[in-house]
Amino acid sequence: MLAPWIIGFCVFTLYPIVNSLYWSFTVKRYGTAARWIGLKNYELLLSNDDLGKALRNTVYLAIVGMPIRIGIAMLCAALLARPRRGNGVYRTLFYVPSIVPAVASGALFYFLLKKGGPVSSLFDLFGAEAPLWFADPAWAKPALIMVGTWALGDLMLIFLAGLVDIPRSLYEAADLDGAGRWAKFRHVTLPMISPVTFFTVLTGLIGVLQSFDQAFVFSQGVRRGRLTGEPEGSLLTYAMLQLRHFQDGRIGFAAAMAWVMFVITFVITIAMLATRRRWVHTASGDLA
Amino acid sequence: MLLTIARHSVLIGLAVMFALPLLFMLLQSVMPLTQAKTTALWPEHLEWSNYTRVFDRIPLGTYIVNTLKVCALTVTGTVLSCVPVAYAFSHLQWRGRKAVFVLVLSTMMLPFQVLFVSQYQIFSELGWLNTILPLTVPTFFGDAFSIFLLRQFFLTLPAETLDAARVDGASEFSVLTRVVVPMARPGIMAVAVFQFLFSWGDFFGPNIYLSDERSLTLAVGLVRLNTAVERLGESNLTMAASVVFVLPLLVIFFFAQKVFIEGVTLTGSKG
Repeated sequence: MLAPWIIGFCVFTLYPIVNSLYWSFTVKRYGTAARWIGLKNYELLLSNDDLGKALRNTVYLAIVGMPIRIGIAMLCAALLARPRRGNGVYRTLFYVPSIVPAVASGALFYFLLKKGGPVSSLFDLFGAEAPLWFADPAWAKPALIMVGTWALGDLMLIFLAGLVDIPRSLYEAADLDGAGRWAKFRHVTLPMISPVTFFTVLTGLIGVLQSFDQAFVFSQGVRRGRLTGEPEGSLLTYAMLQLRHFQDGRIGFAAAMAWVMFVITFVITIAMLATRRRWVHTASGDLA
Repeated sequence: MLLTIARHSVLIGLAVMFALPLLFMLLQSVMPLTQAKTTALWPEHLEWSNYTRVFDRIPLGTYIVNTLKVCALTVTGTVLSCVPVAYAFSHLQWRGRKAVFVLVLSTMMLPFQVLFVSQYQIFSELGWLNTILPLTVPTFFGDAFSIFLLRQFFLTLPAETLDAARVDGASEFSVLTRVVVPMARPGIMAVAVFQFLFSWGDFFGPNIYLSDERSLTLAVGLVRLNTAVERLGESNLTMAASVVFVLPLLVIFFFAQKVFIEGVTLTGSKG
């Protein structure tokens, strides 16, 4: 039963892992032998300005974008948690954007937000001036956050499942204690769905680190070919930079970048799992 | 009463925000070119010929065929390879099962970037560049996410039913094909639908392995079109191509909504 997986694991996972780890310590181009240079690639990586830019963009997306995305997903789920007529229609409407492939939503939002596009027309209707989303470094990342938030359907469904699982008796007990709406949300809902929130934050962080498609489509639209000048530099993600080095034939360096990506993913995962008890309310114990 | 009104206004507001981009996509896809270059929001007449023009501009038909081939093969590959592995991890007892399962899970943490720099060399030496093989062949050897999802599903099946079949003398293979597969159909459907969705929309892999115009998938073709028509202001063509790209997924979604929702919920429920 396991035979195909074992073969596949060796050929498509284990061998590439060993290979790319080795290459990350070498100068490597396809068609030539790898030449050992020790930690040079990693040293170069740490002193690379573009990398700093990409990481700053990533941190921005994580700190500003993720709470917006998770917050709105939670709001959508909370509004639909109790069975009511019409919920199904809303749930479908909220979910549909997340089945739109990322490059398609990238192309769509590029069209929506660009100069003279529908959004700027809407701004005109209200006599306001639309931001130059892609030409202005300050607005490029908010545009990215907007597409990401539009496609929050998966998150909403996960929260919805979490909310439905909360026993009604907890809310009834809170009612008896005279708790208001906010108090119930703060002291019942939030702790009870904290395992779900934890999971979405963890996968969200990893997702931000690996984000590529929409930023790539945006920056291709702004200017073909270049990556790191402005304004497209404000869209630069780590994965875009890694791909650029790969396509320019710096395979050893691209491998080093990939391993740094893995280390960051690993550290985030371990750090979050290790501090899990502080974030997540476990079933026993008091609710306050 | 006031609360009901407030709740409904928020819901309607959100619904508009979620639906409006898709509406603009549709409207732009039938916008006459003269209007497409302006700030017009509403087409003065419906220019359906945009759809035929985009097929003339780029080999969209070829892209559709290529994409369908990739999807058909990856869905087949994923289901054929992951179902037995998930079965071995859920209903078979063997030494080292737990350790190997942890190994499977830990490969989920591995970024694709770590793998593709080396996989690229393998595929290029095999002469597979500009073919769909690098995108499809690996799926016949199982992937961690699908194995994990299927295992979660298989674990919900009652072990007694399986044991009953074994007592009747069924081999493990026929327990799998005659008992487990029919019972786990919703889970297998979910994995198939997710794989289809992923392969249909995937850009990163096809963008690395495909460069010949005739070998592209829809996702890569769309990005190239979007970049190419940017200067000509023909966003109506990009949006027509986008509709062609997205519409099949919407159709699948409306027919398989339950599969989607249960599948997504399952991925999130146990981390």
